[in-house]
Amino acid sequence: MVDLPEKKVGIISCSGEACIEGTISRIATRIVLEQLRPEETVTICLPLFLAGGEEERVFARYFPTITVDGCEKLCAKIGTERYSGKPASSIVVTDLTKDRQSSRLHSRRKLEGEALTVAMEVAERIAQEVDEVLKHWR
Amino acid sequence: MEPETRKKVVVIPCSGIGKALGSVSREATYELVENLRKGVTDTICLALLVSGDKESLQLVQDNKCVTVDGCPLQCAEKNVKLAGGDLAASFRVVDALRENRKLKPKRVAFLDDDGVQLATVLAKQIAGKVDEILRT
Amino acid sequence: MSEYLQTVFDKFELRVRKGYYYTEDGLWASVEGGSVRVGVSDYAQRTGGDVAFVELVKQGSKVERGAEMGTLETAKTTVSLLSPISGTVDQINDRLAEKPELVNSDPYGEGWMVILVPHNLEDDLKALMSADDYFKLMLKKLETEHKKLETR
Repeated sequence: MVDLPEKKVGIISCSGEACIEGTISRIATRIVLEQLRPEETVTICLPLFLAGGEEERVFARYFPTITVDGCEKLCAKIGTERYSGKPASSIVVTDLTKDRQSSRLHSRRKLEGEALTVAMEVAERIAQEVDEVLKHWR
Repeated sequence: MEPETRKKVVVIPCSGIGKALGSVSREATYELVENLRKGVTDTICLALLVSGDKESLQLVQDNKCVTVDGCPLQCAEKNVKLAGGDLAASFRVVDALRENRKLKPKRVAFLDDDGVQLATVLAKQIAGKVDEILRT
Repeated sequence: MSEYLQTVFDKFELRVRKGYYYTEDGLWASVEGGSVRVGVSDYAQRTGGDVAFVELVKQGSKVERGAEMGTLETAKTTVSLLSPISGTVDQINDRLAEKPELVNSDPYGEGWMVILVPHNLEDDLKALMSADDYFKLMLKKLETEHKKLETR
């Protein structure tokens, strides 16, 4: 068997359509996956996870997870706890945007300007959490 | 009829984060709800519905629903049915791709031009179905 | 005892059906009496993505080993399907026209593509890999994929 990395972190993002914070959580997660921590992370598709996707649930049961929720409804966190176990870390985007004027975040559909800046900041935060989780796991 | 009681068609995308097709489902839904059929359609978070959020459950049970799935796993359709939603139609991005072979979306986070175009084509198809549903 | 050799990469379980023969591109051949059934491997479908179209040569066509017997068009790319053996196409999986996703959901079962009457089976099989050898190749490809990520 090839010596694949044993430690990977699953990122479970809410990706909600109803508000801009859902879009921010989605984009931030993809930035982590594609640019910031591509070899250390895996994305778990939340709808598939909640619907019973076996691969998603098995991964989340045996590997540490970080949930990224857009709002206080915490769909990703609650779903992960229910079906696989407590996440190693949880991020809520509204906690990070509360000091910003919501009027400056604009469209939930396409991130631009300040919203894009927020997404990058959330991505950096997720990346830091990934490093912390892996440091304690290894 | 008072605007507050007028029925809407609830459009629910899968928004799958692992594939570009999920991004297209999301973009097509936004195009429909914010542009093509603004005022007569609405969207909700699929995860919220699956989590059992009471308001979301009520919305899908009280209104006709249309699901927009990225791939054949059809998470949105399956979950809306499980939630007891009144499912009037289902769309799959992969079927729109079959009809528009040149429009292959290549990116997930930020859709490229082909992905946006595919979403627009799909949104127009869904708009036609929404009109049918509202007429009945 | 499992019918498959399997490994896990990220969250995906990747399987290689025992007893089948394989090309390096990931086409499999299963000898069934006097015929050979052909499809694509789990690894091939996983890396290719969601299948939108499967186009195959017509029933009755003759194909040479290594020649194109069809194409697989996915959401990401179009892949040429090179026949693992020489033969005449006896049957085509008609279901793939309406349900191409069977290639993704059941690559070793309902996602089969063609059944060939072989012209030169003994020699052609010698040119193919066993399940064990294809499994090792797949692991090597996964390792290369991982190393590409490491060097980014």
